[in-house]
Amino acid sequence: MEWIHLFETWIWLGFAATGFAVLFNVPPRTLWVIFIMGALGGTLKLICLKLGINIILSSFMGALLIGFLSVAAAHLRHSPPFIFAIPAVIPMVPGAFTYRMMLGIIRLTGENDHTLFLQLLQETVDNGLKAFFVLTALSLGVSGPMLLSRNKSTKEIRPSKFLTKLFGSKKASD
Amino acid sequence: MVLSEKDKINELCQILLEVGALLMETGANTFRIRVTVTRIASTFGYRTELLITHHALMLTLYNEESDQFFSRLKQTSSHRVNFKIVSGLSRMSWHIAEENWSFEMVRKEIDRLKAVSHYPRIVTLLMVALAGASFCRLFGGEAIEMIVAFVATFVGLFVRQEAVKRDFNPYLCIFSAAFVSSIISGATVYLHIGNNPEYAFATSVLYLIPGIPLINSLLDLLDGNIINGVVRGINGLTIALSIALGLLGAILIYNI
Repeated sequence: MEWIHLFETWIWLGFAATGFAVLFNVPPRTLWVIFIMGALGGTLKLICLKLGINIILSSFMGALLIGFLSVAAAHLRHSPPFIFAIPAVIPMVPGAFTYRMMLGIIRLTGENDHTLFLQLLQETVDNGLKAFFVLTALSLGVSGPMLLSRNKSTKEIRPSKFLTKLFGSKKASD
Repeated sequence: MVLSEKDKINELCQILLEVGALLMETGANTFRIRVTVTRIASTFGYRTELLITHHALMLTLYNEESDQFFSRLKQTSSHRVNFKIVSGLSRMSWHIAEENWSFEMVRKEIDRLKAVSHYPRIVTLLMVALAGASFCRLFGGEAIEMIVAFVATFVGLFVRQEAVKRDFNPYLCIFSAAFVSSIISGATVYLHIGNNPEYAFATSVLYLIPGIPLINSLLDLLDGNIINGVVRGINGLTIALSIALGLLGAILIYNI
């Protein structure tokens, strides 16, 4: 039962990523890759959440997986990696937090009662901070492979040489 | 036709700025723009100094052999995300490096990419609406809520496309889309249709979330392009504000 539920979630995550991919007008040959990447990243995030890890770290894990997959996908389908990574990571973008924060700010302006104001302020700051840190985690995760490999372009990243590059000096790898 | 050095540097500068401006308009981050432009320029044997901002690009080309400088400024036009162009331009920069393209071939490729087709409108609408329904399902909605989210997203995106076509202010486009979507999904909350109509209400505007500006903003900040990062971040927050205002409109009307 648990597995069927997971598989169902997997499909919906994939469709969410693909919907955004179509909205951003990605080349058709990359669509199915984005479906799979979005589904895998989202599933990892949900699994982490279920294990009791907080939302920021979970999002980071999901985004990191997508980041590494996007490098592989870039080699496979000959497009820059972020074409895959951004639509795939969009279902994890804290849209709900962001607009709850905005809604909170708007409501704060019209709130006169002191206790209600403090409560609303607490919620707003909570939502805003979560949105910011989840977003940071997502971009860090997506650009993780690029940051680690210190390369100018993904085309130069070869998985076999990745580790040597990671630990070798910059001059030696050029 | 053999171009003189001056014509050559002029032509290349125009091409590079066109590439850079297109990348900026279609949603590439600053790092990607710099890499692509520098790569093309170095294939033709020029050094570049590049200033990239949200609304204009400034480029100086320099040839060490002939000691020629050339500078030019180009404004970007309206920003519309289109990854087909980003992907095409990136591929083009590699082809130029590997296959010794001439300027005419580069120009032709840019024109081809600009004219490159979008997905049929109905496909975009249906896929994005499906994404909206998927979000609703992920939040825990059931069949009725999913259908509501589907319809709200479909109509909202249609409104946004029509508004963009009529050249309204971009934030106004997003506001009207968010307002229409939340009016549709808010009706089910007002009339108590389904078990958890508020799931549909919360997810019906998710297709508008400024994912690309916000992610690009953080990517730029991480890369040290602080000003571009801040500009994109503020842009993303303003979009979020427009969405929230649209939602607020529906909340006030239905008094939920």
